Amino acid sequence: MSVEDRAVTETLDEELAELTHGAAAVTQVPMWRIRWRLFRRSFARNWSLFAENKMGIVGLVIIGIFALMAIAHPILMATVWERSIYDPVSGYDAVESIVTIVEEVTDPATQLSLADARIQMNPFVEVGDEITTVLQPAPPSFSGEHAHWLGTDPQGRDVLSQLLYATRAAFLLGAIAAITTVVIATTVGSVAAYYGGVTDSIFMRFADLILLMPLLPVLFVMGPLFGLTMLNLGLIIGVLNGFGGVAIVLKSQALAVKVKPYIDAAKVAGGGNWHVIFRHIVPNVLPLSFLYMMFGVTEAIAIESTLSFFGLLNVRMTWGLMINTAQTQGFLLSGVDYWWLLFPAGLAVSILAFAFFIVGRGMDEVINPRLRARG
Amino acid sequence: MTKFLIRRFLQMFVLFVVFLTIVFFLLHAMPGDISNQLIGNPNIPPEQREILRQTLGLDKPLFQQYGIYILNFFQGEFGKSFTRYPSDVSTVIGAALPRTLVLFLAATVVAFWLGFKSGKLIAWGRGGKTEQAYIVGGVFLQTVFYPWFALVALWFFGSQLGWFPLGRFIDSDLWRGTIFNANNVFNLLILSVFVAILVFGLARLVIGRLTPDPLIQNRYRRIVAVVVLAGLVAFWWFSPMRIYAWDIVHHTILPVLVLASVAFGSTMLLTRSAMLETLGEDYIMTARAKGIPERAIRDRHAARNAMLPVTTSLVLALAFVIGGGIVTENIFSWPGMGSLLLEAVTREDVPLAIGTLSIVGVLALFGHLIADILYTILDPRIRIS
Amino acid sequence: MTVSLENLEARQVDPTKPLLEVDHLIMRYQVKRGEVSAVEDVTFTIHQGEAVGLVGESGCGKTSIALSLLRLLPSNARFVSGEIRLNGEDLIPLDPEEMRQRRWKDIAMVFQGAMNSWNPVYRVGEQIRETLNTHYKGVLSYEDQDALMERLFAGVGLPAEMLDRYPHEFSGGMRQRAVIAMALACSPQLIIADEPTTALDVIVQDQILKELKRIQEELGMSILYISHDIAVIAEVTDSLGVMYAGKLVEYGPTDEVFARPLHPYAYLLLKSTPSITGPRRQLAPLEGEPPNLQNPPSGCRFHPRCPFATEQCVTEEPPLAEVRPGRRVACWNYEDVPELEEALVR
Repeated sequence: MSVEDRAVTETLDEELAELTHGAAAVTQVPMWRIRWRLFRRSFARNWSLFAENKMGIVGLVIIGIFALMAIAHPILMATVWERSIYDPVSGYDAVESIVTIVEEVTDPATQLSLADARIQMNPFVEVGDEITTVLQPAPPSFSGEHAHWLGTDPQGRDVLSQLLYATRAAFLLGAIAAITTVVIATTVGSVAAYYGGVTDSIFMRFADLILLMPLLPVLFVMGPLFGLTMLNLGLIIGVLNGFGGVAIVLKSQALAVKVKPYIDAAKVAGGGNWHVIFRHIVPNVLPLSFLYMMFGVTEAIAIESTLSFFGLLNVRMTWGLMINTAQTQGFLLSGVDYWWLLFPAGLAVSILAFAFFIVGRGMDEVINPRLRARG
Repeated sequence: MTKFLIRRFLQMFVLFVVFLTIVFFLLHAMPGDISNQLIGNPNIPPEQREILRQTLGLDKPLFQQYGIYILNFFQGEFGKSFTRYPSDVSTVIGAALPRTLVLFLAATVVAFWLGFKSGKLIAWGRGGKTEQAYIVGGVFLQTVFYPWFALVALWFFGSQLGWFPLGRFIDSDLWRGTIFNANNVFNLLILSVFVAILVFGLARLVIGRLTPDPLIQNRYRRIVAVVVLAGLVAFWWFSPMRIYAWDIVHHTILPVLVLASVAFGSTMLLTRSAMLETLGEDYIMTARAKGIPERAIRDRHAARNAMLPVTTSLVLALAFVIGGGIVTENIFSWPGMGSLLLEAVTREDVPLAIGTLSIVGVLALFGHLIADILYTILDPRIRIS
Repeated sequence: MTVSLENLEARQVDPTKPLLEVDHLIMRYQVKRGEVSAVEDVTFTIHQGEAVGLVGESGCGKTSIALSLLRLLPSNARFVSGEIRLNGEDLIPLDPEEMRQRRWKDIAMVFQGAMNSWNPVYRVGEQIRETLNTHYKGVLSYEDQDALMERLFAGVGLPAEMLDRYPHEFSGGMRQRAVIAMALACSPQLIIADEPTTALDVIVQDQILKELKRIQEELGMSILYISHDIAVIAEVTDSLGVMYAGKLVEYGPTDEVFARPLHPYAYLLLKSTPSITGPRRQLAPLEGEPPNLQNPPSGCRFHPRCPFATEQCVTEEPPLAEVRPGRRVACWNYEDVPELEEALVR
């Protein structure tokens, strides 16, 4: 225990003593206030531990930025963005630009090859001519009547709008998957640990089975066969994680809680099984389950994006689908030439997953003291 | 030990049957009759539809259908592929399976080996900017959007630098007009590597019999390893199939490396934390007190023990590798199980999809079993108890 | 159990010659805010063939001393001043590689918790052989190593077959015996035994201690016992040092210190420990907690807990002075302790 830890604990104890001093005080101070203060104290301590790890803070900041992006989309749609042009799915903008005809294209944003131009537009053009054309995907434009900060996709839709819209979808999916995971896993873990015996083995064998199942291939098949939507997918991932690996981890945590003296005290005081599980075991298992919630979000985002990337999901617009569009229109190996098709969406998936993951790691160091940096 | 493994094997078998059952019921939860999906498929004559109905037992009650399905599976009878009619599903899978196995195995070995090495080193040289950079890099690899990462890698190394071919299994221009068949050359490649490993394993056994002194054993082992490796290279160097074999290997390198890099990140991070844990153990202090050189403490004591939790997590890495493998195959047009699965799914070739999915399930189970065996070998507390 | 050590060479012992001299050693740990003074100006000598004990509460710096002797300290530790002389040669300025070669060959160590001293994945024999390979590379043949290990095991009363077993197949007491066998492998001049019997049950504890004592005497080695348990140490040592908060507060022949401690802390420590073999006595609790070594108390470090403290104790630090032949104590009022004792008991 470091010096500052001890300091915090001491003030905590003092406060508790002050709060619970004498029976009169107990009747004067409502229970929820004691709980609330305790919660605030332990939160402050955990926060200072978490804040020591700079990576975790960076992760939180990134998540915050993405959250702002998600909120920005409906606001922009309601104010400055015309629906017919900026809708992430049905919008279209014919961006006119001037291109030069050349033999060999070196910069596809401002040049057009002679062969293509003669076939597509005008059979009489020559090298060096400058012609006006509707270019899709169009490179980023910051001026004009309709600015497209991240250009347009091969179907003339605004990439920025798609990106922001997909952010909201990602958060939604992550939230569904994570909450489902936490609810199921804490319940299953606590119940399995508390009852033990047959209940325990049934749940654990089931968890083994889920761990053994090749998740992505199964979803590959289920996605198109059932026409999975965002909501379905989030639930499936949440349920599988909740009954699977996370349940195993939380069960071992719950086992450690189960042998604590206060559990016996609660039983002796006449607490029923469910009372003990939900009032005493679950609250002590929850911190760890929040940690797995973070990792769960990472996983859900990655799976969703991968499935959308192959066009196997029934979704409106997601980051994976944005890359899928680029792929199906033949811009896959265009690399940096059409960077706005591949990089914003790809980086968005990677960075958000990264952020949730490092926040999870930061929380891990708070919860598992042995991981904290030593020396 | 054998008892433990037998129990584990039986457990896996039961789990596999459960897995098959889930696949079966998934199929039946799907809207509509499978054979109706064939109506619009011009490839398939009406008779075949009737045959399919019968082999799948679609006219019988559900539990009978289930029985037929399980029985068919264990007889290797998956029916005929819709899209590649009249090929049997088992034939199609038979051609794809070795390629996938090589991809998975090679990627797992590379990822584990490099990940373990670097994790060991960064944990040993604790602190500083290098460690931070490695951690960020490891987390990045673990969380990067894999299909996108593979695409960028393909674009960069294939298209920009031109070091590797742009996907596919072979360069068809090169193979035009040769007497060699790509599958045979590939299988011969696998066989030769397998024989080399076998020879090395046998030699190890013999050496163990010859002398009990670990110092001498190590020297002999090194010699045998060099000889076997030289033999393997010489065999292919003087073979008439040299350029063709090289073509296949050349096509394999990039997908293997890209697939390995994902599992590499997680293995490295895990090795690092496992190392930090073992470095705090009392026996490390004892080894220091004994005057064991630092390098030997790192490798023989800390890393050897850190390997145990890393091996356990090999199971988790396996999920990465299987999922990532499917993505890799599709992006690199690598004609393996993953490509088959996506093709079957997008073109609604139900028998092929079921067959592929089941075999991938078998692969996953075998992977787990191998990880279990490895663990028992590595940990004497389980081996001898 | 009678076992023989006749095959292991005994060393000629001259009890007047010093083997290890710890001379005004100051060692500190660097921490986030400042320094922790773990070993503060400690001086004592271990003669050839002598068994010395260091006793004190946990955190008093006794293990830090043990680790200092082998220079096995964590990276944030720093020697501020002083010397650790082995046969007259200072170990502190040795470069790390030279020091590594000295370890186990000159000074071996038996750690607390034999359970974890063994690497679980290697056979016990392999781990002893590793030590031999490190220090006698090319000197001993494989067969010689086998023969030596068998003799070592016989010497601590373990059958030779056990060499091929893994640590988890040993019981706690057997593991500790095997650790002792390993400690003897390179016939060191000094063995440090850090809480050698803490995790064992009382009967095994007694066996192991007797074993160590016998081996030490037969082979003419010196031994440094480190323990929090003054009763255990008293039975096997010739000299006894009492440590408090990084300082040596009392040092002298074990019998005398045990019979008549001079420092109040030693006195209270003895009073607070029940003795199984000794006479029945009134137990007195030692109140308070050890001080924070990042910011040690002024004057005598024990004064906040000392029932005999005076003005002088708060302001001035008592030196470790030889007050009677062979007895050293760091206390201003050591002469008053017997009188005050009466007051305390009442």
